Amino acid sequence: MTRADVLVIGAGPAGLAAVAELARWGLTSLLVEQRDQVGGAIYRRHAGDGSHLLLMPEHHRRRRDALMMAYSQAQQRITTLMRSVFIGVDRDGRFLIDNRGLGQVQSVRPKAVIVAVGTVERVLPREGWELPGVVTAGGMQVQFKETGQTPQGKILLAGSGPLLLALAAQLAAAGNPPLAVLEHAQPLASAWWQGRAVFNALRSWPHVQEAALYARELWRARIPYLTGWQVQSVRRAEAGLVVQASHSSGVQRTYAVQHVALHDGLIANATGLPQAGQLAEACIVHAGDGREVLGASAAIDDGRRAAQQVARSLGQRCDSSQLDQAIAAAQRTQAALAQLFQAAPVAPTANTVVCRCEGLRRSDFDRLQVAGSAHELRLVGRFGMGACQGRFCAHAVSALAHERGIDFDPTAINGDVPRWPLRPVSLAALAAYAESESAPESVL
Amino acid sequence: MSETAALHFYWRSQPVPFRAGETLAAALQRAGLSDLGSAVGGLHGRYFCGIGTCQACLVSINDASPVEACLTPAQEGMRLSPALLQRSAEAGVSS
Repeated sequence: MTRADVLVIGAGPAGLAAVAELARWGLTSLLVEQRDQVGGAIYRRHAGDGSHLLLMPEHHRRRRDALMMAYSQAQQRITTLMRSVFIGVDRDGRFLIDNRGLGQVQSVRPKAVIVAVGTVERVLPREGWELPGVVTAGGMQVQFKETGQTPQGKILLAGSGPLLLALAAQLAAAGNPPLAVLEHAQPLASAWWQGRAVFNALRSWPHVQEAALYARELWRARIPYLTGWQVQSVRRAEAGLVVQASHSSGVQRTYAVQHVALHDGLIANATGLPQAGQLAEACIVHAGDGREVLGASAAIDDGRRAAQQVARSLGQRCDSSQLDQAIAAAQRTQAALAQLFQAAPVAPTANTVVCRCEGLRRSDFDRLQVAGSAHELRLVGRFGMGACQGRFCAHAVSALAHERGIDFDPTAINGDVPRWPLRPVSLAALAAYAESESAPESVL
Repeated sequence: MSETAALHFYWRSQPVPFRAGETLAAALQRAGLSDLGSAVGGLHGRYFCGIGTCQACLVSINDASPVEACLTPAQEGMRLSPALLQRSAEAGVSS
């Protein structure tokens, strides 16, 4: 194995752009990807026979193709490890990677690290969101990209944000339009009094084109886009799931479906990851949607910028001001969209599961009178203690604690010390690592 | 049909067809197998986020340590079972 200058974690838009840019500056990189193909969730390819054309704006396709080209042209300086998961940093500053293809944990000591692990979806707790058949919108979309097939049976999309529109249009174009899209916010109504946000959103021509593409498909398939609506509960029924929905006016409605996709926005992802900064052992930079959610195009720019930052820390002279400008424009657009899709928070009912990993409900939280901090909520109540390390409950737990007068940042639920390994690792893979430690050539 | 149509793995003892290059989760979904067995806290294993983050779709392959069904490519003859041992699930033990 090569001794690469830079470790890049994640082969989505930011990671791919980073390795290609590093190669331009003469630097070698080790690219670590959890899946068996590069591209990340956004550019997930169709598996199996034939092809599957996903409804996607043309500028998106062009940037993807240019990125893949840059990646393949830089191959000489890139070593890619597929089916490999970053699991933590050991006491001696070695970055540990679970190489699942080999069934062995491996370690690396790079001069710099670019963390490009992508975003996490935000999903607010609702009664029944833990049931089989209820997935995230991103989860439904990534599986659909992979199989080329929509889920069979009736689908309902609910929550908030532009991704619901994209998914609805893609499902419709593939022949199974959702029964409805329930949008909690009032993006169209708020456009009247959020003039500045509308202006800033419209300044980004690619976003306008994208919105028009999806809106046309929704119109063609006659999919109701219902704003001000939200899912109250999901219950198991004989033939699937029964969804109880309500409008802000109090009107209620029931949907009988087989699949529910929920989505309440995208959030940056730093859980358990080494903090950005110049450490004694390595320079660490975060890039892409994991650092700040700005979309795939901006993630490509951000990945390149991260690579240039690393190149500078290793003595190269490069100027990133053009990339800075492009990223600032993306920030403006995202801020405008966030304003238009602003929705009032919803308090979970007593029976709502809050912590999905441990199966803890709102009532369990209410019973937990002794806990007075994030630390105690985790250690005494086991909130955020499960395998997802709080990625799906930290916001809800922090909001519930706030109601009780305990204030902490959602990230505090995970504690000060990262809980490594970040993912399940087999003892056999760890044992293989311990054995290999005596043989120096096994260090990447 | 092409040769790939003959590929199978097993969920408990039920054969599940898959296409080359597909994840376990994709094939389970197509087969209508959304309930991945008892999990901690009285809940059930299930596909949710699709990118390895939520850890809800953990399954055990050939009785080995759990892996995410949404990340793991399906291979011929794999024998899948719920990640949590039946005994621990019944006793409500959280691992």
